[in-house]
Amino acid sequence: MPLLDIKNLTLEIDTAGGRVKALDKVNLTIDESEIRALVGESGSGKSLIVKSIVGAINDSWTLTADRLNWKGSDLLAMSKEQRRKITKDDIAVIFQNPVSSLDPTASLGEQLEENIPDHLVGKGWFWQRQEKRKQIVSRQLHKVGIKNHELCLSSFPHQISDDVCQKFMIAMALVSEPKLLIADEPTMGMETTIKSQILKLLSRLNQNRNLSILFVSHDLLAISSMCHSMTVLYCGQTVESGRMTNLRKRPLHPYTKALLDSAPSFSKDLLPKSNLSALDGTIPTLQHLPIGCRLGPRCPRAQKECVKIPAPRHIHNHYYSCHFPLHRPLK
Amino acid sequence: MSFYFLRRLNLLVFTLFMLAMASFGLAYLFPGDYLTNLTGIHFESEQQRQLYATLYKESDGVFWQFIAYLDLLWQGEWGQSFSSNQPLYQEVTTYLPASIELSAYALFVSLVVGIPLGFLAGLRHNKLADYSILSMSFIGYSIPVFWLALILILILSLQMGWFPISGRISLLYYIPLDTGFILIDIIRSDVSYKWDAFNDALRHLFLPTLSISIVTSTIILRITRRSVIEVMGSEYIKAATARGLNRYQVILRHGIRNTIIPIMPQLALQFTTLLTNAMIVESIFSWPGIGNWLIQAIYQGDYPSIRSGMLAVSSLVVIFTVSIDIVHKIIDPQRLYRQRVKI
Repeated sequence: MPLLDIKNLTLEIDTAGGRVKALDKVNLTIDESEIRALVGESGSGKSLIVKSIVGAINDSWTLTADRLNWKGSDLLAMSKEQRRKITKDDIAVIFQNPVSSLDPTASLGEQLEENIPDHLVGKGWFWQRQEKRKQIVSRQLHKVGIKNHELCLSSFPHQISDDVCQKFMIAMALVSEPKLLIADEPTMGMETTIKSQILKLLSRLNQNRNLSILFVSHDLLAISSMCHSMTVLYCGQTVESGRMTNLRKRPLHPYTKALLDSAPSFSKDLLPKSNLSALDGTIPTLQHLPIGCRLGPRCPRAQKECVKIPAPRHIHNHYYSCHFPLHRPLK
Repeated sequence: MSFYFLRRLNLLVFTLFMLAMASFGLAYLFPGDYLTNLTGIHFESEQQRQLYATLYKESDGVFWQFIAYLDLLWQGEWGQSFSSNQPLYQEVTTYLPASIELSAYALFVSLVVGIPLGFLAGLRHNKLADYSILSMSFIGYSIPVFWLALILILILSLQMGWFPISGRISLLYYIPLDTGFILIDIIRSDVSYKWDAFNDALRHLFLPTLSISIVTSTIILRITRRSVIEVMGSEYIKAATARGLNRYQVILRHGIRNTIIPIMPQLALQFTTLLTNAMIVESIFSWPGIGNWLIQAIYQGDYPSIRSGMLAVSSLVVIFTVSIDIVHKIIDPQRLYRQRVKI
């Protein structure tokens, strides 16, 4: 049974121009002890998926899904309290903007201690528990590579630099020992050395503690080095998902191919000074979404049928939503 | 940090200096002899005038006159009133506490009413509770203070007879003047009718406080509501929800502090609005405060009183504003620790 199973997740947002489907029938599964990448351009709704999973969406948005299951139990059908308990104990999120995701008026120490679950602290008098909390907190900070933990804990979010803040967010997510870690662009704005440290830390946690990770990013190099499987998102629609190796070897959706081609480190036979390939146009805004397959106007293989939403098809574990996938010749 | 304090203090001193200058200028601008306007004495003989002319350094030019004026101000020699012939310093210090008292209670009431309602409206944003609180506050905000005061007197005092019409305390009770704040004076006094007098003073306070706190409550309510909506829509509140805190934990641990700290100076500054509103209400309720006293002075053309009353009230407002700024700076962690740390 997959850890998290999302089927046909649709998120509708009311805008001035009417109701818009920011997420349109998104499918995503995360198996136990798997690192799954969620890839897509900025504005394709990656962060919205993250927010939908943990239930941190605005009240005015409407969320519907055929399945939003956590270990087989439906998150949407259960009571608020039950769902909160699951998000508290089992799911942890590293948010995209670390500074704005931290309370500006509380010291970092307070915020980190707040996240320690009671069972890790154990029983005892309040000073013993406080002592234990302090230990856990400093150990956790050392793990993510913050050496001067005392200074870090006593300072406020606006006082520390962005990459330390990012590391702190990671520490905060890991301190509750979750089963699923959702990392929303965890290495954004970091130096390369620190970035590889963080990525190593995440893969180590995955191997040692069976932590499943949903790795949201558009850094294809990092993804291909650590992720087991990948889901590609375009404009709120899942276009393709499958094992990392399959996707890299033989992408079936034109968008996935364009995405992989656009990363020069993946194409070995790239001649010097040759043009990098990219799709024409830009990702459409939420107000001007094309009907049917949203890639339609930019797709090199688009035909008449593309104005209808393609049904998801699959070859073994390799899912794709396209009328004219790459392995079938165009008529 | 100390640099900030120095800058604030500099601002304070400079503003007070300008105020003193303006009040000194008034003595020249008012009709009549400038020395009479400063001292408040209608001189009977040239000899008497000479006496004061040396005191105020009349022969030395405007600059030295101003220095002499500042010196006398500092010593508490503010001149005397035309109408009562009492020293002005004494008059102002008797009447000002009554106004401060009224405004302080009104501010307290407005905070107690405004902040919880603002939170309620902000947390139930775009729901029935929000709309009804907002429309009520709109009504409250639009009512003119003096009209409301008159209506309150008409209904609650004259028709129902629940509250006294005017004054601070009934003539039956004699309370020795000590701090100038009536409730504190009553508690500190040793009279046998202490609690009767206290009760009576409260009943006198009720209507004036109510009529000026309604407008301020609505302002505070709106400020709070806006801040609550802003904070509850922010990323860190979403993040806290995503971490699995329940709604009450989110509001208690992260909501309240973030809501109140940025609006604290705005809330405290309502005190100055209250003070001006209190002046109107004072004359309706014959409350023996500085506003009532100033208006009487204006009617009677009592120039020394106008000069010193204006100086006293504006200095109070300036000092209050600057101290609020400093207190806010001390409390707010975001402004306090400006420097970044290296980790």
